[in-house]
Amino acid sequence: MSAALIKVSQAKKVYQMGEERVFALKGVDLEIQQGEFVAIMGSSGSGKSTMMNLLGCLDIASEGSIALDGIELANLTKNELATIRNQRIGFVFQQFNLLPRTTALDNVTLPLLYSQVPESHWSARAKQCLEKVGLGNRLYHHPSQLSGGQQQRVAIARALVNEPVMILADEPTGALDTQTGLEVMALFQQLNQQGKTIILVTHEPDIAEFASRKLTFRDGALIADERNPQPRLASDGLGQ
Amino acid sequence: MKLFILLKTATTALRVNLLRSFLTMLGIIIGVAAVIIMVAMGAGAQQKVDEQIKSLGGNVFFVTGSFRASGGARASSVVKINEDDANLIEKQVPGVESAAPYLSANGQVIYGNLNWSTEISGIDNRYFVVRDWPIATGREFSTQEINSGAKVAIIGERIRQELFGVSEALGQTIRVKNFNVTVVGVLAAKGQDARGEDQDDVLFLPIKTVRNKITGIDSTNPKSVRFIQVSAYDGEDMDYIETEMTRLLRQRMRIPVNGDDMFRIRNVSEMIATRAETMQVFNTLLAWVASVSLVVGGIGIMNIMLVSVTERTREIGLRMAVGAKPADILTQFLIESIVLCGLGGAIGVVIAYLFVFLGNNYGIGAGGVIDSDVVLLSLGFSAFIGVFFGYYPALKASRLEPIDALRYE
Ligand SMILES: Nc1ncnc2c1ncn2[C@@H]1O[C@H](COP(=O)(O)OP(=O)(O)OP(=O)(O)O)[C@@H](O)[C@H]1O
Ligand SMILES: [Mg+2]
Repeated sequence: MSAALIKVSQAKKVYQMGEERVFALKGVDLEIQQGEFVAIMGSSGSGKSTMMNLLGCLDIASEGSIALDGIELANLTKNELATIRNQRIGFVFQQFNLLPRTTALDNVTLPLLYSQVPESHWSARAKQCLEKVGLGNRLYHHPSQLSGGQQQRVAIARALVNEPVMILADEPTGALDTQTGLEVMALFQQLNQQGKTIILVTHEPDIAEFASRKLTFRDGALIADERNPQPRLASDGLGQ
Repeated sequence: MKLFILLKTATTALRVNLLRSFLTMLGIIIGVAAVIIMVAMGAGAQQKVDEQIKSLGGNVFFVTGSFRASGGARASSVVKINEDDANLIEKQVPGVESAAPYLSANGQVIYGNLNWSTEISGIDNRYFVVRDWPIATGREFSTQEINSGAKVAIIGERIRQELFGVSEALGQTIRVKNFNVTVVGVLAAKGQDARGEDQDDVLFLPIKTVRNKITGIDSTNPKSVRFIQVSAYDGEDMDYIETEMTRLLRQRMRIPVNGDDMFRIRNVSEMIATRAETMQVFNTLLAWVASVSLVVGGIGIMNIMLVSVTERTREIGLRMAVGAKPADILTQFLIESIVLCGLGGAIGVVIAYLFVFLGNNYGIGAGGVIDSDVVLLSLGFSAFIGVFFGYYPALKASRLEPIDALRYE
């Protein structure tokens, strides 16, 4: 097997809350290969988001090591971390986190602003990504003029625009109804088929069914790592 | 390229809170406008002073008689200087170009059914030399006219306009007080003097004509005049000339060594210049006060930028999540602050121009002259204020941790 895309060993995250120390992660070991579709489950406060933030270079581990494509994150500067976030990672958030009063197209263009991609390609690329998520006819809509599902799809287009190797989604369906959630999951499955590594956090076991691997966290520790060789197809649910 | 995107981002952000942005800019607008207006007023006043000194004919003294002083108490009689004094000064004081005697009275001038009240002055041709005042049409007085006290007149442009309008003035007969005079010359227009009076509102007659027909002859001093206007050649030492004139006149009036002068010599350009200097100091002070308001405006900018950074913490977090480096965030907020200040500065410049334009054309306030250097300097200064006061908030934004910024509520 080729080298893992992500290799986490003994990662710990400690928050200092005044006198008290909160152990959000208590030494996690984990390997994720390129092309996997991973769902992270666990009760509230179990450390799922903390794990995602570490994987997404938004935060750094207090102890232990996290390597992305063989690069040890702990040794990187702020600028290098920013470049990794820009080039290799696409984020999808529960609350979409789109810029208000800004068109879908401009929202999707945002990561390109901080990339090396020449400006002449921006617009075409952003359009292409919006078309991919089925919003080719909503380019100039502001977030307030879009439904929740559409906003989340704009966010996914934004995550895709720099052609990252992996997409990190923290409860991407959390703010959506079941049907729209299914649409979003179908999109993720489609992207996964095209080779993108996808890691998502969810509370809903149904949603985790769509992933090919399920990680379960409890109290800051990884307690279960299950493979699902036959994931359900979200598009089937949509057809009904 | 990217700058355009940054500017677009900045203006979008500023448009979101249009009123707030405008109010913040107001400090800069007022500051810049005030600085430019104050400096413009100063420059305008200076220009006026220069013009006045020039219209006076350069290096000019006024010599007048003064009260006769005896034993410290002021006597009632006024010593009058006369034409002989003028001749003597012109002949004996080195550096003097010309010394022109001047006698005047107010009176009515009538032409046809038009009448005009003006200053009627008795002079000889030396006056035009001293004043550096050319005749526009016609001629000066002839020696014969001066010696005989002929009934001829040279008129200022204003009187020509009032009495003759578009018709020919030369050769016409006008009535001055109770006698008729013939117009032989019209002077070039000169404009307003130091006190804002129209210098072209004058009628000149030979000095003897005025004395014989209007003021009457002073029996104790038959050739007395109101004042002598003395001009020095360019580059002459004015103080030296003043000393020499004083010495000459004291000698002529036989004033004892410790006696007070019975005449006054005033160097008018110097007086105007001194007065202008005081005014200039005042104007500079006002310009400084105005720049303080610019700094106060800058503090307002800083305040609003800090609010803006706090309000947009989540946006900052998102931008960082998609790859913005600290420097990108810093630049974004700096540009926003510079745009705010620059725009304020530009509006301030427009307001200053408008104000000075209205002042100059509709007589509100003193005239002003806007120097393009001052405009550039003010704009530059306001941009600098944008950088200076915008830097701290921008730095604060750039130092946020991505995860903290994203989670901020
Ligand atoms: N910035 C922080 N400061 C202090 N403690 C924190 C911070 N972030 C997270 N924690 C703590 O770390 C633990 C794990 O939090 P985390 O957000 O990873 O949970 P989660 O599994 O994502 O929960 P949820 O499903 O509710 O989102 C929690 O106990 C939380 O209180
Ligand atoms: Mg969470």
